[in-house]
Amino acid sequence: MIAVQHITKSYGKKENIFTALDDVSFEVPDKSTVAIIGKSGSGKSTLMHIMSGLDTPSSGVVVIDDEDMFSMKPKAMDGFRATKMSFIFQAFFVEANQTAYQNVMLPLEIAKTPVRKRKALVIEALNAVELGDKASTLAGNLSGGQKQRLAIARAIVNKPSILFADEPTGNLDSATGEKIMQLLFDLNGKLGCTIVLVTHDIELAERCQYQITLKDGRVLAVHDLQKPARPRAKKARII
Amino acid sequence: MYISDVIRRSSRSLLSAKARTILTALAIAVGTFALTLTLGASNGAQGYVNKIISDNFDPSALVVSKDKDLFGKTDTSQPQEYNQSFGNVLSATGQQTQIAQLNDTDINTLRALPGVEQVQTANAVSVQYVTRPGFRKYVATIQALSPSRHPELLAGSLSAPLGSGDIVIPEGFVRSLGFANPSAAIGKTVKLSVQKQISAAGLGAALAAGSLTATPTESQESVYKIIAVSKKPTALLSATELFLFASAPEITRLTDFTTAGTASYHKYLAAQVVVAGGNDSNKLHAVQTKIKALGYGAQSVQDTQKFLSQIITVLQGIVTAFGFIAVVASLFGIVNTMYISVLQRTREIGLMKALGMRRRDITKLFRFEAALLGLLGSLLGSLSAVALGTLLNPIIAKRLGLGSQHLLVFKGQQILALTLLLIVVATLAGLFPARKASRLNPIDALRTE
Repeated sequence: MIAVQHITKSYGKKENIFTALDDVSFEVPDKSTVAIIGKSGSGKSTLMHIMSGLDTPSSGVVVIDDEDMFSMKPKAMDGFRATKMSFIFQAFFVEANQTAYQNVMLPLEIAKTPVRKRKALVIEALNAVELGDKASTLAGNLSGGQKQRLAIARAIVNKPSILFADEPTGNLDSATGEKIMQLLFDLNGKLGCTIVLVTHDIELAERCQYQITLKDGRVLAVHDLQKPARPRAKKARII
Repeated sequence: MYISDVIRRSSRSLLSAKARTILTALAIAVGTFALTLTLGASNGAQGYVNKIISDNFDPSALVVSKDKDLFGKTDTSQPQEYNQSFGNVLSATGQQTQIAQLNDTDINTLRALPGVEQVQTANAVSVQYVTRPGFRKYVATIQALSPSRHPELLAGSLSAPLGSGDIVIPEGFVRSLGFANPSAAIGKTVKLSVQKQISAAGLGAALAAGSLTATPTESQESVYKIIAVSKKPTALLSATELFLFASAPEITRLTDFTTAGTASYHKYLAAQVVVAGGNDSNKLHAVQTKIKALGYGAQSVQDTQKFLSQIITVLQGIVTAFGFIAVVASLFGIVNTMYISVLQRTREIGLMKALGMRRRDITKLFRFEAALLGLLGSLLGSLSAVALGTLLNPIIAKRLGLGSQHLLVFKGQQILALTLLLIVVATLAGLFPARKASRLNPIDALRTE
């Protein structure tokens, strides 16, 4: 479970202070799909960065699997991210001059996965996103949809328990975006990882089990959309 | 990240920016090239000096003079006071100087010293002419062939000590004396004529007669059998390339004849003092100290070697300094390249940090990249230098008359040490960019366009 408790994030000092997140609290059950929605500047990405430990809050805590992320030492935090979290970004962030195989290998190298296990994991991840035949293709030669699938393969290769996706379909046409989201939801079902999705796309958000709407850095609403496909998922609630 | 993964990723990064990698490596290679050639030339020069010394000097002997100035310590900026008992010598620059000479008492004093095995006077006799029947006459200089001297021979042998009627001629005389080749000269005879130096009494008589040329001086002809033909010596001893060699007693006889009745009779510029067990530097040094304590100048082969090595070291230092300047300039190239690499890969760094890569590993990634650039540049530079040196060595040796000696001698250990040094220095140059990369904020890095 991810517990976000009284998170506030402010920038600047005194009269120039800007509060990006203001006392945000909610819980996300394990293996659920959560959409964080809101207009530009509402604090969605800041919230995702804090939830993933990439950024630190001005106050408040994030507890994942009973561990307070911000009390961890940097080394432990890095280890935590390397083994339990993964990311998908709008801009894919694949290495154009490396092959699909080499791109997917990156998280395994960072997590120091034993060398003998790596190849099978990479092939499995590439097959899961239907890029098994593109393993030796340079990422730069892939289409936009293929690049995002490659990013997803890289995100799931180390079987994370939480997958953060920041506007994963933002750079794709609607048909390709639909395929990508279907893939993500399928993987959520197969791998059982929690997916935290930051998006503008209301349609996409409605396909998630939970919707957290932000406005001006505050939680405006938390909707339990009760997706029947996730019977084990607990209800998100405002604390 | 495992170190193997770091190296693989660093190599891949360098390969993905081939042009930048090659240009930076070339910058390092220029400095390495210069340094490798400098080291090679220094080794070659040192080897060359060592060969000359081992071929021409006895390591167990000391060269002793009455005048310490013989060993080049004269202050030529000040006028030298005239001394009637000193001999006059023209320096290489043509400046006249006076050198105190050894006499028989000095030679006996040296012979009586404990540890001294043999004392041999060092004289070169100006030969009036050398010739063969039916051929022209040529001026020459003849010197004693000491046992420690091993001139390279084109024909004949020096396995047995020279007899009083034996002579070694240099290759420069072979054709002039009418021999088809060096081998044809072996066993044949040549005639040498030496002339008495004009004595004080002779000079007085000549002046009284009104003309120096009116007074013939006595000369003596001797016939010698050629037992060997020496090869033209290496460039360093080119001033001696036409020296003839005879046995030491024969040279003494000729010297006595030419100097009889003059102030130079039984006077010697220097003597070679052979020390018993002198190959042991301690024994040699002990005798050297004793001789110096008696007020003589004494120089060992090591001193000569040291002096020549110092010259080489100074020259080497100058060229090395230029090489290092080139290396330092190339290091700025590494810093620049690495900074560009960090800028170009900002989002990649952000992603790696987001995926949990530790700061330490990011630093390692860039440090290894810099180290690989250093390795590539140093290998490129040193191997090119070795290749060029190998190609040029025979040409240089032929031009300078070095024989089998090579001017550029490369040592694997030195190249390895230079390569390691450049890797370390390149790694240090990569530290700042690596530090910058590791400190990037992942969120800012991921937002970079």
